[in-house]
Amino acid sequence: MANNEENRDIRSRQGINTIIVNSARNMHMKTVNARIPQKSTPQPLSQQQNPQWNNFMVNRGTQNTSTIHQRFKSPLAPRTQSTRHVCNNPNNPPCAHCGTTIIPSPKAFMPLEDNPEIIINNWKISTKKKPILNSVELEDWENNKLKGLALPEMIFGNNAITIQNIEKDWTLQFNTLDALKMVKLEDSGIRVSYSNKWLDAKKNNATKNSNQKSDIDESSLKIVHNYDWTYTTEYKGTIKQNSKDSVEYNFQRDDEVQLPIDKLSRSDKILFFDDMILFEDELADNGISVLNCKIRVMDERLLLLSRFFLRVDDVLIRVIDTRIYVEFDENIIIREFKKYEDQYSSVLSRHRLSHSYDPKAALRDSNWVVANSPLVTRECEILKF
Amino acid sequence: MSTEVDVDVPMQDAEQSDLDLELELEDELMKPGSSGIADHKSAEPVKLTTTSIGQLDAWIEKLVKCEVLSEDEVARLCKMAVDVLQFEENVQPVNVPVTICGDVHGQFHDLIELFKIGGPCPDTNYLFMGDYVDRGYYSVETVSYLVAMKVRYPSRITILRGNHESRQITQVYGFYDECLRKYGSASVWKMFTDLFDYFPITALVDNQIFCLHGGLSPMIETVDQVRDLNRIQEVPHEGPMCDLLWSDPDDRGGWGISPRGAGFTFGQDISEQFNHTNNLSLIARAHQLVMEGFSWSHQQNVITIFSAPNYCYRCGNQAAIMEVDENHNRQLLQYDPSIRPGEPTVTRKTPDYFL
Repeated sequence: MANNEENRDIRSRQGINTIIVNSARNMHMKTVNARIPQKSTPQPLSQQQNPQWNNFMVNRGTQNTSTIHQRFKSPLAPRTQSTRHVCNNPNNPPCAHCGTTIIPSPKAFMPLEDNPEIIINNWKISTKKKPILNSVELEDWENNKLKGLALPEMIFGNNAITIQNIEKDWTLQFNTLDALKMVKLEDSGIRVSYSNKWLDAKKNNATKNSNQKSDIDESSLKIVHNYDWTYTTEYKGTIKQNSKDSVEYNFQRDDEVQLPIDKLSRSDKILFFDDMILFEDELADNGISVLNCKIRVMDERLLLLSRFFLRVDDVLIRVIDTRIYVEFDENIIIREFKKYEDQYSSVLSRHRLSHSYDPKAALRDSNWVVANSPLVTRECEILKF
Repeated sequence: MSTEVDVDVPMQDAEQSDLDLELELEDELMKPGSSGIADHKSAEPVKLTTTSIGQLDAWIEKLVKCEVLSEDEVARLCKMAVDVLQFEENVQPVNVPVTICGDVHGQFHDLIELFKIGGPCPDTNYLFMGDYVDRGYYSVETVSYLVAMKVRYPSRITILRGNHESRQITQVYGFYDECLRKYGSASVWKMFTDLFDYFPITALVDNQIFCLHGGLSPMIETVDQVRDLNRIQEVPHEGPMCDLLWSDPDDRGGWGISPRGAGFTFGQDISEQFNHTNNLSLIARAHQLVMEGFSWSHQQNVITIFSAPNYCYRCGNQAAIMEVDENHNRQLLQYDPSIRPGEPTVTRKTPDYFL
């Protein structure tokens, strides 16, 4: 496209040279256009008749969007007119007005699928990003891949970060499915803050109504389906080794090993950066459970951080960090695993110095939480090719 | 030196008293009614005057441009809204045709997109099933706009209460924060959360479609039992009102309790029984994110509608609304996030030297 150049916003600071491309926006526009049934005749908008509508149009600005809108439908068209055919998705039932079947059209997804990679020496680093799983994928995960787990609300099931040594054909990948496979299918023992109050109220109610017809009896007050609803996962990545002949490469446990913080603290130019969520659940508004993965690749080394962050409001805080460090020239990989945990109230009591105006803000910031929670476990492993 | 004296104060005590102060502060915040918007309620429904219509239209014109009202204007708007909403029923009757919408979550530009897809209000009747605030960046604008539309066109738009229209939840998920940022104090947040107590909790579309934010409650067998509830209060932690705003349908039959230790799930047998008992054709609810914007469950006894596309600006999901016409034909409209010139559709994180 001719305006490709305009879409590039080249930013350079602190040695970071990044190109932000708005191609997702353009692609999305095209996809949305393609999804609009060709048959429907656009009706001219009679803007004078509806001042409020005018407002909307003025706000929109771009020509592209108003075209889309006009094709969608006229707001003033009577409800029964055939121009109302906006059934642009094959998943929709046949149109209620004329019964025609809707022609399958391309599916828009946001953001655009991203699959960048970089190769340094023998090392290939790639990431993949797509939207949350759709209902077909979800069904498959629910019934087959992760049977027994009530799935978290947002599953970025196609997201992954892959670090590959091409020469040894050794791969370490962080992906959503394997992370969720490590969620225990048993009671975590953790309850939301008001659980006792809630259950007691139900029990009292059940006893009160025991003479009358009641939907809840004692047996229904037990949790029928046990799984770790906090989605705690001690995932350290998935190792894949394809070569038929070769030696098996395994990490050696050595807790004495430390990540070279000095090397990582230098502002070496970042050649490749990505940050993604693998899964997230809002715990029915009782906090948050999220697994986030990010990576930065410099000329000589890379650092990956996979962080599981759990906050059960008024109950507890838990952070599980896995860091992967690769030194390209020396073919060294270090994997560090750290677990932090504390009671919610203890962490909250330490907040005051940093986020004073909003006490809860500190507890939304996983970096702050890590700095203010006790380290429970630390393990370190090393692998050298 | 005086500074040394300060240092000598035991840290423990200092922290403790700070914490107490904070808890007190929190209690003060949580106190319903402190905003004063409901201090002088009208005893009977108020008719709009030419002046108030002009006022409302001016506010709506401002809001549609995504500009916030002043604190004083919000106070006046909320007072007017109390006098509209207090006369609505726990089960607010709604006539067809109507367009039923789910969670919006402060995604103001997507709400405007919704009105483009569904047709502008008041030409099209709307029913929103709650969760207007939190998570998105424009909760203030979103809820101000919907409330202004409600006061201006009370019979054209119905706004139900979601579990996020509560003092406790909004303190955690962003609305409180946003009010502080945009107004410099919590007073606007207080006014809106006081107003939320007056929102109706369910609606009945032509006696056929039962609409609510969450789902069913084991303590509610008939729609009439909902009418008996006292809804003008903060969303309680348990009981029928809590369930209606929080519960979820599930594949397993009967009533289930979430392993979280609170909250019900209800099975197909429960939905079928409820629809049969109350002579309903459908339960329409929101509350849960679905990739396609809508999702049928319990063999079309229940539909989930979610109207926040690309939820939290990162999920990439579509949104949907459901039109119900005069003949009770239903049609689902799916739509994508609104595209604004010059703004990327995805929030890309800037590279940082994380450790």
